[in-house]
Amino acid sequence: MDLRDFSNLQLDAMREVGNIGAGNAATALSVMLSRTVDMAVPKAELVSIYELSEYYGDPLTEVAAVFVRSDGDFSCSLIFFQAEEDAQALVDLMLMQQMGMGPEGVPDEMRDSVLTEVGNIILSSFLNAVNVLIGGAHSISVPGVAHDMMGSVLQVVASIFGQSGEHALIVDTTLAVGDLDRNVSGKIVLLPDPGSLEILFGKLQVL
Amino acid sequence: MVKAHHVGMADIIVVTSPEMLITLGLGSCIGLVLYDQTAKVAGMAHIMLPDSRGASAKALEKPGKFADTAVPTLIEMVCAKGAVRSRLKAKFAGGSQMFALPGAETDFLAVGARNAKETADLLKKAGIQVVNSDVGGNKGRTVEFSTVDWMLAVKILGKGKIEI
Repeated sequence: MDLRDFSNLQLDAMREVGNIGAGNAATALSVMLSRTVDMAVPKAELVSIYELSEYYGDPLTEVAAVFVRSDGDFSCSLIFFQAEEDAQALVDLMLMQQMGMGPEGVPDEMRDSVLTEVGNIILSSFLNAVNVLIGGAHSISVPGVAHDMMGSVLQVVASIFGQSGEHALIVDTTLAVGDLDRNVSGKIVLLPDPGSLEILFGKLQVL
Repeated sequence: MVKAHHVGMADIIVVTSPEMLITLGLGSCIGLVLYDQTAKVAGMAHIMLPDSRGASAKALEKPGKFADTAVPTLIEMVCAKGAVRSRLKAKFAGGSQMFALPGAETDFLAVGARNAKETADLLKKAGIQVVNSDVGGNKGRTVEFSTVDWMLAVKILGKGKIEI
């Protein structure tokens, strides 16, 4: 379906999908860290693919990003990304909580593995909730991770949507870990395949 | 202070010496430069996808988006600013694969390699000499083209800068 023909009701439905997915993801992160996790109200927006690389600010910002692909009734891609320092702080929290390890002496490969797994669990929890909502079956790819400029990461999104049109449908929300001296937050971005939206809207009865 | 032009996604910009051309955070996209040192003209296209087959008329309003529309349009635009086609040379960078998901159906993540190949093929077909290129890998690039020394500076996070 043409993304430009979206109704407000459909964008609301996407926001609600984001809300349900992110709620489950926040719970998963909260359990893993034994801390409160705050969740922002999700947004669902149509963004010009040509403006995507600057959509979240300076494209040169260093970010860590975990990417998964889901195929099934509702096919989509998902990204969990954070400022690089937030990602490293999250890894420190996870190592301490799960293994009682301080940040010293942990090899970079292991830190990266922790980050990938946290991202994987957050994104899988998100997808599980969405698929329970619509009664769909899905499979999730192994996660991929990148540490790079935000603009380069967001180009992936632009090229996915660019094949079928000029706009990307972006559903995003921010998770923030509570009770810390510093802010540790990350963004979950849901990128539905344009072809899977009719199925989703049909199941949500907003087609 | 030399004026620097930012070439956004799917844009094509042509400048004359000594102005600079810059693209920030290239991932799978390609930054393609065509230049004529004698006429002191250079242009950059920020190519997103390899080919325009099946694209809507709306998409074709941005010829910089696809390699097969960007290359001829860029040639036309630099020549309109005084470059001579037979003197044109090319340099390009980008076309990386930011994420790899082993075992998954992810042809769409390998679009960078197809962008690089298509760009190289089209330049060859157009008879334009490629002086140098820096493509592939899994890291993003920031590129700056100087119309003073005609070098393309390529910066990769954590790896420093090279000039091609």
